[in-house]
Amino acid sequence: MSAIRLWRHRYAALIRSAWLVDLQYRAAIGIWLLWGIMEPLISLGIWWSIAGRGSVQGWGRDDFARYFFGVTLVNQLTLAWDAWHIDRWIREGELNYRLTRPVAPVHEAVADNLAYKARTGGIVLIAWLVVAAAWPAVRIDVAPGRWALAAIAIVLAAGIRFLSGFAIGLLAFWTTRVSALMELQFGLSLFLSGRIAPLALLPPVVGTVAAWLWFPYMLAFPVELLTGDIVGPTAIARGFAGQLAWLLLWWLAYRLVWRKGLSRYGAVGG
Amino acid sequence: MSPAILADRLSKTYDVKVRDPGLRGAARALLRPRYRAVHAVADVSFAIARGEIVAFLGPNGAGKTTTLKMLAGLLHPTSGRAEVAGFDPWTGGAAFKQRIALVLGTKQQLLWDLPPLETFQLNQAIYAIAPADYRRRLDELVTLLDLGDLLDKPVRQLSLGERMKCELAAALLHRPEILFLDEPTLGLDVTAQEAIRAFLRAYRDRHDATVLLTSHYMADVAALASRVAIINHGRLLYDGALEALVARIARTKRLELIVGDGVTRRDLEAFGEVRVFAFPNATLEIPREEVPAASARLLATVPVIDLSIEDPPLEEVIRRAFESGDEPVAAAPPASIAREAS
Repeated sequence: MSAIRLWRHRYAALIRSAWLVDLQYRAAIGIWLLWGIMEPLISLGIWWSIAGRGSVQGWGRDDFARYFFGVTLVNQLTLAWDAWHIDRWIREGELNYRLTRPVAPVHEAVADNLAYKARTGGIVLIAWLVVAAAWPAVRIDVAPGRWALAAIAIVLAAGIRFLSGFAIGLLAFWTTRVSALMELQFGLSLFLSGRIAPLALLPPVVGTVAAWLWFPYMLAFPVELLTGDIVGPTAIARGFAGQLAWLLLWWLAYRLVWRKGLSRYGAVGG
Repeated sequence: MSPAILADRLSKTYDVKVRDPGLRGAARALLRPRYRAVHAVADVSFAIARGEIVAFLGPNGAGKTTTLKMLAGLLHPTSGRAEVAGFDPWTGGAAFKQRIALVLGTKQQLLWDLPPLETFQLNQAIYAIAPADYRRRLDELVTLLDLGDLLDKPVRQLSLGERMKCELAAALLHRPEILFLDEPTLGLDVTAQEAIRAFLRAYRDRHDATVLLTSHYMADVAALASRVAIINHGRLLYDGALEALVARIARTKRLELIVGDGVTRRDLEAFGEVRVFAFPNATLEIPREEVPAASARLLATVPVIDLSIEDPPLEEVIRRAFESGDEPVAAAPPASIAREAS
């Protein structure tokens, strides 16, 4: 069996298993999806009431609607919760049998992510298209090339979000406070990734800090690329360069933490 | 031929944080953390030939599971080396993992919410098992483990024994040549224990597999292992045949008697220590070397209806071996085997 066929087969089986398990937790998945949609809609409601019939720094109600619909879709397509899983795998010994398989545990996490994103991202996209048919404000009027660029940016954003979460989760090899670290990352990302407000509306110092971190590349950049709020090849190229740089850095961090962590793993539990 | 499993002076030391009790202790631990080195495994060496079943015995915390996990590549040793199926367990990668299986009695790999068949199919893809091989092996495992009715029931609805049988099937689908089993019969009823033991014997016989198992059940040891390794406080105390251990530790044998009318406890005390006397049953303990002569005299002078000569219960032998402290019970042969192998 060729290597490509082997891995295609493995990923198909892992994604299938993830879907079958998810089907057992339909209500929980529905609630998570609802929460994922509600959060940007609440932000949209707040900004709508602030904007009133006018605008906030040039952003009108329609602009906010388009932006937060973009946030909803990109958030679902880049969401990663692996840190909590890895933390449990390490602390409760669930990593043990995974380490005896000829497939690194990271592949199971990637497949799990793909399974989730294919399902919930698809649902959100369909919901958006339905809403957009009735409400012109949230329609996206960009060229096919821009759609393609946005798709690439979403894939890179998902990679950054996944690898940063996975690498932080692996800190459970050293500390039992991974959940606290992830809560910190989550809290920072609310502001710095553009989840509760477009970065352009935050105080300039926040935008400056965010520009040096990975947060905007996980969400704001692909959203603004999708909604057409980023214009000009220089800004787009800078955004992709930032994404690639952070993807590489988090990949290196994952490799380092994985290697060092395994060498001190205690393999707790029977 | 090189051994299937080789451990050469394997050691694993953990740094464990120590803390005095109370608030002051907590504050001190925060400002100036102190660590104590715990030697979970110390200089353990042995070699296991292909097709052998070896029982790794020791009290809780003795280091047996740690050794198993090191050999399976999960834990990196502090020092020493190992070779399993011709691979270094820590750098062997996917090729090594295709050749081994680790079954932990207290942790499961079965997908909890789905029928076992789903885990089997997942493992088929993960271990790249060809469809024809998968069907053949699954049929074999279903027959040997009597899984017919369990395949489509969600794992969460299976009993402990049924789950363990499915765990074994999931772990053996890729037909590993080395099996590491940690308490495979833990918590199972007698019937399920016997089913697992019969299966393990059959698997070894069919596929010439090498098995290293830990168990607290001496019935597992007696039924499966031709050789035992005893570990305590991280040190290997004994490595050899079970019979040799019994002969070495148990200096006495037990004579189980059913005596005729009129025989008293005092009549039997002349032949050895009377452990139990409840007419007509009696148990005598006699030094091994005196057993032939003593039993001949006994039969000649005392009316005996039935007599059987037995070793002390295995549990007692092993307990005595643990109690022998850190001194090796017998000269451990594996060092020389290890030298030959390297």
